[in-house]
Amino acid sequence: MTDDVIGRAPSSAPVTIHRARGAIVPSVVFVMWRRELLRFARDRSQIFGALSRTILWLIILGYGLGVALREVEGYPYAVYVLPGVIVLNVLYASLQSAISLVWDKNVGLLREVLVSPAPVLSVTLGKLFGGATVAVIQGSIPLLFLPIVTTDVEYRDVGFGEQVGDWLEGFGEALADIAVIDIFAAWGVMFLLGVTMTSLGVFIASRMRTFEGFGAISNGVIQPLYFLSGSIFPLRGAVGGTGFSQIPAELRVELRRVGVRVASGMWFVTLPWWLQALVFANPVSYVLDLLRYILLDFEQLPLWADYTVTFTLPLLAVVVAAFAMRRMLRPR
Amino acid sequence: MAKAEPSSEVSASTSPGSRPAIEAKNIGRRYGDVAAVDDFSFGVAPGEFFALLGPNGAGKSTLLHMLTTIIPPTSGTGSVMGFDIVKESSEVRWTLGMVFQDPAVDDRLTARENLHIHAVLYGIPRKQRSEAIDRAIEWASLTETGKRRVATFSGGMKRRLELARALMHGPRVLFLDEPTIGLDPQGRRNLWERISTLRSEGMTVFMTTHNLPEAEACDRVGIMDRGKLVEVGPPHELIEKHGGSENANLEDVFINLTGRQLRDEVATARDRLVSFGKKGGEHTR
Repeated sequence: MTDDVIGRAPSSAPVTIHRARGAIVPSVVFVMWRRELLRFARDRSQIFGALSRTILWLIILGYGLGVALREVEGYPYAVYVLPGVIVLNVLYASLQSAISLVWDKNVGLLREVLVSPAPVLSVTLGKLFGGATVAVIQGSIPLLFLPIVTTDVEYRDVGFGEQVGDWLEGFGEALADIAVIDIFAAWGVMFLLGVTMTSLGVFIASRMRTFEGFGAISNGVIQPLYFLSGSIFPLRGAVGGTGFSQIPAELRVELRRVGVRVASGMWFVTLPWWLQALVFANPVSYVLDLLRYILLDFEQLPLWADYTVTFTLPLLAVVVAAFAMRRMLRPR
Repeated sequence: MAKAEPSSEVSASTSPGSRPAIEAKNIGRRYGDVAAVDDFSFGVAPGEFFALLGPNGAGKSTLLHMLTTIIPPTSGTGSVMGFDIVKESSEVRWTLGMVFQDPAVDDRLTARENLHIHAVLYGIPRKQRSEAIDRAIEWASLTETGKRRVATFSGGMKRRLELARALMHGPRVLFLDEPTIGLDPQGRRNLWERISTLRSEGMTVFMTTHNLPEAEACDRVGIMDRGKLVEVGPPHELIEKHGGSENANLEDVFINLTGRQLRDEVATARDRLVSFGKKGGEHTR
């Protein structure tokens, strides 16, 4: 190490401090928001996770199971699951961003925030908006696949070159079908869900003393919320396609007894009551339903309930998160 | 390192006339039945350099956290530059600078970005921020590496960054929690020289340490054990009084006052987290 001359300390130079009063200091909210984005931009594993989830659920499951199920309420299965995959990415992004607080408060920057005079509410809002913005970015990855999965191509027995041409034509039409306003509305819904889920994560993080893996959060929180939101199966409705028309009458009667009505080649399915109850109890179901309504014009739940849950939940969540952060930053 | 003249104005508790920079009156903090800090009273004069010594689990960190308003006391009162640590906690926060035991920086951000966050948190106006950051970077001798991510920094570089950061908002009292722990001798010497320059500029410094030669260079030393202040005074006086032999040092005083018994502590939540991280913990940083 070179012998360096130590100059006058930074504290000796005059600084005027602007002592902001009030709980919301915009510059603090902004700097904490920006920090979340910088952290995300510098962590390639998060983007990789979002991409791999999208490919697994949308492409592999969507097309793989789509072959057997063909359609849900007239939508190809890959199209049906797309809003669900967006929700899955939003859940992961928000909770990952929030759970990093456990690390942050023990060995990271949060202790610096802890002794600073910055108001807790501003720090919390920065964190929540940051987590929600990262969630919108990750949720937009499946959205990029929307024109691909909605591409409708009639199969013709022609050469490969012409098949590609057909597909590209269909892709062009699908792309043209997407309204810009819908994309903005979808981003809005993702952001609101992001705020809610980051808040949930902040609450969980405030109760966790130590941290030994994200697995418990993933298996215990994200996956139940995802599976019980009607993301990969419909609550009720017509499943199948034209290939189901040759079902014998006796089998129809038998199927009706277990809750499946078969008519004109479609299966009409209803979830068992306990599974329905769980889906109805899951707030994510309503947000997902709204997202599906925006992107696909198809809803399974009353729209008024979708709007109510989507807009009121973030407000409640912010309050909960603010108290949780207060608990963490200003212990009693 | 020259030993400073002992300051005689401030006694163990308070002294009439001069207002202490840091003061605690019968301060205590209980966790259930356990008193981490018990009826603790002391004062630090403006410009004084005070070291708090004590075995592991003596309550040093709890005391430090109460004085820096991170946790409230369960009994007694305390003040920093005359501001009450409970009633005027935000005034206290603006008045003090703090360096934690291990780095409280964001590893994924650059040195400048970390300092920028500090500047915003402490309300340094936008126009002055980049100048304040430049000054801090220069003082920390990180001009070459200011735009590199802190993850690539050595322990010494992080500590210099944190010390410079703690000074950005012009604090009048500096709290250092074992500032030289984990540094190599060069890093330790360099950091110590920086702290000494602050002292010559009139900064009040309160530090906890296990490094006894460093404590010997302080104006006054307090020895804490089991939540209580066992002894306080200028190092040479303590050595005369409790050293026991002709060429005794502060270590002898420390052992004589706190005993030879080992103070084993169970791993804290933080220790467990750090070891998880070292093993390559996922999704954490």
